[in-house]
Amino acid sequence: MIVYVARRMVTAVFMLLSIAFVTICLFFGASKDPARAMCGKPCPPETRAKVSAYMQTDQSAVWQYVEFVKGLFVGRTYGTGAQQVHCPAPCFGYSFPNRSDVTTLIAERLPVTLSLALGAAILCLVVGIGLGALSAIRKGGIVDRFSTGFAMFGLSVPTFLVGLLVLQVFGFMLNALPYSGFVSFSESPADWAWHLIGPWMVLSFILAAGYVRVTRTQLLNELSADHLVAMTARGASNRQVNRHAVRGVMVPVAAMFALDVTALLGGSVIAEKVFSLHGLGDLLLSGVNESDLSIVVGVTLFSAFLIIVGNLVADLLMPLLDPRIRRA
Amino acid sequence: MPDPVLQVEDLCVSFTGGGVTADIVRDLSVTLYGGRTLAVVGESGSGKTITGRAIMRLLPRGASARGRIVVAGREMLSADERELRRARGSDVAMVFQDSMSALSPYLDIGAHIAQAIRLHNPSVTRRAARARAVEMLDRVGIPEPADAVRRFPHEFSGGMRQRAVIAMALVNRPALLIADEPTTALDVTVQAQILALLRELQREYGMAMLLISHDFGVVGSAADEVLVMYAGRQAEYGSLRDIFDQPAHPYTAGLRAATPRLDVRREIGGERTRLRAIPGAPTSLRDAGPGCAFAPRCGLADQVGERCVVEAPLPTVRPTSEVGGLHLAACHLDRLPAPQEVAS
Repeated sequence: MIVYVARRMVTAVFMLLSIAFVTICLFFGASKDPARAMCGKPCPPETRAKVSAYMQTDQSAVWQYVEFVKGLFVGRTYGTGAQQVHCPAPCFGYSFPNRSDVTTLIAERLPVTLSLALGAAILCLVVGIGLGALSAIRKGGIVDRFSTGFAMFGLSVPTFLVGLLVLQVFGFMLNALPYSGFVSFSESPADWAWHLIGPWMVLSFILAAGYVRVTRTQLLNELSADHLVAMTARGASNRQVNRHAVRGVMVPVAAMFALDVTALLGGSVIAEKVFSLHGLGDLLLSGVNESDLSIVVGVTLFSAFLIIVGNLVADLLMPLLDPRIRRA
Repeated sequence: MPDPVLQVEDLCVSFTGGGVTADIVRDLSVTLYGGRTLAVVGESGSGKTITGRAIMRLLPRGASARGRIVVAGREMLSADERELRRARGSDVAMVFQDSMSALSPYLDIGAHIAQAIRLHNPSVTRRAARARAVEMLDRVGIPEPADAVRRFPHEFSGGMRQRAVIAMALVNRPALLIADEPTTALDVTVQAQILALLRELQREYGMAMLLISHDFGVVGSAADEVLVMYAGRQAEYGSLRDIFDQPAHPYTAGLRAATPRLDVRREIGGERTRLRAIPGAPTSLRDAGPGCAFAPRCGLADQVGERCVVEAPLPTVRPTSEVGGLHLAACHLDRLPAPQEVAS
């Protein structure tokens, strides 16, 4: 077990290093000069070169990569003298447009995205599994027909459209929910949840569809499974049999959720945009728009880190649900 | 004679679905004593599996049973949930056709057997139950049982899995074992081994066995008595010898003629005789008429005439070659013509 975790960690580190390299190369391939945005107007060539040298964007992608990795461990210093900026380790780069190191920026934005993603994850699991289970138990009933339609709709409609619809209906037409803003949990848990209900609905709506389908199919399979009949034939009570059926449903749901960590972060970019929340997705978008290399690399890498950790946790939890994996 | 292990009287199983009710088993009566094997034979849809399930009260949703079923002195149809749980897996156990789907993919073999033990003896510790599971696996001929007990169903071959399922069914020494097509999913050599194992354990434990099969070869090597079912009804009942040597129902005779035999040279007078299929398909149970269900497929119905279409035949006593044996057939014909007459 420990060997397994260690091996996974080493793989994860290499994966992150490769992701950083690819992101930096892609960024420079885009042939947008980050110095151009910083130097203001008018921007004579010599000033631009100076700015570029100061921001260290005049170097090659490989050099950038080496500096970046070095910065992660020992920190990084930009410029000299009065203009010197130091970015302490672990340095994900320094964002000149924001006048702040990326680590601080991510730390600022993280609570928003985490609140959004975790809440949406819980809502999507509750709604998805709940609806799926109900439609399997009463197959062909009203709930089943409703949730089949719901799942079709959820699978086929893009996030931004759902976002705008929710915003329009609940925010503007019914005036029932706030249409933007974020209140931190520590400040007021009630307000925190109140402001996030809209984004949660949007984000979980899309994802819940998949869980409705998987739960319904899997539970239907389990309910007619021979091994459950066999268990009854051994003298097990209904409750014992049902507990066993739940396990059969949870295994694929857990596997699916591990993959959906990615979708959750990706979807939050759009949900944050629609609801004007200043989270990681919003930070990444602004970084792309302002050609801010440090932010793009930093946020990309951090998101990749979250996804890898999420998958690792899922992989470690899976054997608890499905003992067959323990042996592999 | 001791009390029978299984007594079924006038069992009717009906299915309700979509506002229609169909009888899938009708007026079935069977008596089975300890140490004996009754084979229930019939093609798909004849109600043989449902009969087996009804005995354990494991009917699918929408099905209900009437009549009387007594297993080891316990009235199954009037038993409450608690009594049923006590009977299932202890008085009466079941071996399923598909051993893969009959085992939970998430439990190892030992956990299955330990579960069967602990459901009926909660005081047995998990460790003791697993130790007993090892013994049981050894008894059913699984090599290296101490290692096998920790394996998962998908790591076993079909034959080994079926052995494990048998171990699981027999661990509480049931008085009655219902084996539903126990060898159908296995290849022929393994089939023979599994049948031999079942017979051996049956002798050892003195239990009664209800062997559900569509295969006359399997029946011939394992059964003492045979019940032939057609469209949910009892077509013929008798000792293995009577059923094989002097079938009194055209359907039984048809099944015999459709089964390849190694003990009979299929070359008579230089001409090869072919296996004969029974023409047609089983009638739908829903639009069953008043007559004999087999009449539309029966080559002899013409000889009897209209009676086959308007009146369902009741089981009547037929000649038997066994002392004190019972041979019943539900056919309007008193005597089947000899095979060559049927062929013409």
